[in-house]
Amino acid sequence: MEKQKAIILKLGVIAFLCQAVFYLNSCEEAKFDPALTRTFTIESPSIGASYPIQVALPDNFNSVGEKFSTIYVLDGKQDFNLVANTCKNLSERYGVPNVIVVSIGYGRDRSMDYTPTKSGSSTGGAPEFLKFIENELIPKIEQDFNADTARESRVILGHSYGGLFAAFAFAVNNNLFGNYIMLSPSLWFDNEVTLLMEKQNRNGNQEAHQLVFMGIGEAENSGRMQAPFEAYYQILRDHYSDMSLSKNREHDLSHMGSKDPNIVKGLHYYFQNR
Amino acid sequence: MKPITYISLVFALFACTTAFTQNKSSTAVVSELTIEPGVGVHTNFGTDFLVTNLIQWNPTRRFSLGAHTSFNYNNISQRDFNYVKTNYNYSINQKFGAGTTFYSKKSSHTFLLMVGFKYTAFKETLYNPDFDKVSVAIKGFSPDYGLMYSYKKGLKKCFFTFRMYIPLYPWPVKGSDIDYIDGNRDNIALELGIGVRIK
Repeated sequence: MEKQKAIILKLGVIAFLCQAVFYLNSCEEAKFDPALTRTFTIESPSIGASYPIQVALPDNFNSVGEKFSTIYVLDGKQDFNLVANTCKNLSERYGVPNVIVVSIGYGRDRSMDYTPTKSGSSTGGAPEFLKFIENELIPKIEQDFNADTARESRVILGHSYGGLFAAFAFAVNNNLFGNYIMLSPSLWFDNEVTLLMEKQNRNGNQEAHQLVFMGIGEAENSGRMQAPFEAYYQILRDHYSDMSLSKNREHDLSHMGSKDPNIVKGLHYYFQNR
Repeated sequence: MKPITYISLVFALFACTTAFTQNKSSTAVVSELTIEPGVGVHTNFGTDFLVTNLIQWNPTRRFSLGAHTSFNYNNISQRDFNYVKTNYNYSINQKFGAGTTFYSKKSSHTFLLMVGFKYTAFKETLYNPDFDKVSVAIKGFSPDYGLMYSYKKGLKKCFFTFRMYIPLYPWPVKGSDIDYIDGNRDNIALELGIGVRIK
C-alpha cells in the first residue's frame, strides 16, 4: 500500500509538472494604460462591416497640441497591447516623440480583407479594405486625434496575410503610408501576385522615400514563405535607392513564434530610422 | 480550454491511468534493453514524415535511460507550390534522456526527460517566370529538449510501441496568444513502431 501511495505521489508530481510547463506560457501581455486608450467602432458603408478600433495615445497627448505619427496595426486585437507598450518604451528609450497606435480589429474575415485578389471563396477584398483605411479610417483618426497627416508619418504593420496587405498597400497606393513593417508576409499568395503589382507600379513608387522592415521566422519551412520573402527583399534592395530597408530572420522560430520578436525589432527599426 | 492544455491533460491522464493499474501481484516485464524502430508524424499532420528509433535501457526497475534518433522528411506533401519549389527539407534529431518506467500486467509506460540537438536544412527556390530566380537555403543546429512518453504493449520478444515527444524548445513563452507556441505544437511527434527486447 505504501509503495502504491509513493507511486501515485510521483505520478502526481509528473502530472503537475506537465501542467505547469504548459500553463506557464499563458501569461497575459501587459495591458496598455486604459486611461490612454480609446475604443470605438467604425461602420464602413463601402464594405458593409463594422471594424472595432483601439487607439493608444502618447502620455503627453493633447488634441490641439503636438501632431503625432500613427501606426496602423492589422490583426489589431491580438497585437494592440504589445505594439502600444513597445512604442511607449522605445519612445522613452530613444528620447523621441511617441506615436498614436491604431489597431484595426476584424469587421469580416481577415483572409478577405487582407488578400489582394480573388483566389478562393473568401479572398480578394484588400482593394476595398485599403480604400476603407484611406477614405474612412485615416481621416477620422487624423481629425479626432490631431494626428500628423504626412505620408511619412504613417506606418502600417501586418503579419502573415497582414504583411501581404502591407506589401499590397506599398505597391498600389504608395502615397498612403511611408513606413511598412511586414512580418512573415504571405507573398506566395496567388502566384506571388503582390510582387507582380510592385513590378507594375515600381516606376511611380521609386521616387518617394520609404522605410521597410521585413521579418520572418527561420523555422518557416512550409515551402512557400522563405523564397518569396527573399525575392521581395532583393527587389526592394535593388530597385529603391531612397529606402531604409532591413530584414530579420528570427532563429529557430516559426510563423507565429517569430511574430512578437519581429514586431519589437520592426518597431525598433522604425524608431531608430524614422 | 487552450489546445496545449488538452495535450498536457492527455499526458497526465496516461500517468494517472498507470497509477491506478499498479498491482503488487503484477507480472510486469522489466525490459532491460530494447530497440524500438518506428515511423511517425508531427502534429502538423501529414506534412512531416518521421523515421525514428528509441534505444531504452532500464538499469533498474524504476530507472530508465533512452537515446532517441529521428530523421524527418519535412513538408512532404507540398514541395512545389505557387512557383515555389522545395529543393530539400529535412531535420535530424538526436536526444538522450533519463526517466522512469511504470509497469502493468502486459504493458509499460516510460516517461523521459530528453536533451539533445536538432539539425535542420531546407532550401526553397522561387521560379516564377515574371521574376529572377531566387533561392534560399537555411540550415543550422538548435537545442532540442522535451518530454517523451513511451508505451510498450506485449510480453514477448517483439512488442508494439507508441511514443509521444513534446518539445520544449523554443520555450513556449513567446506571447500572449496560445497560438504563439505553434513551433512547439506543430512539432509534437507521434510515433508507432515495433520494439525488440535485446536482453
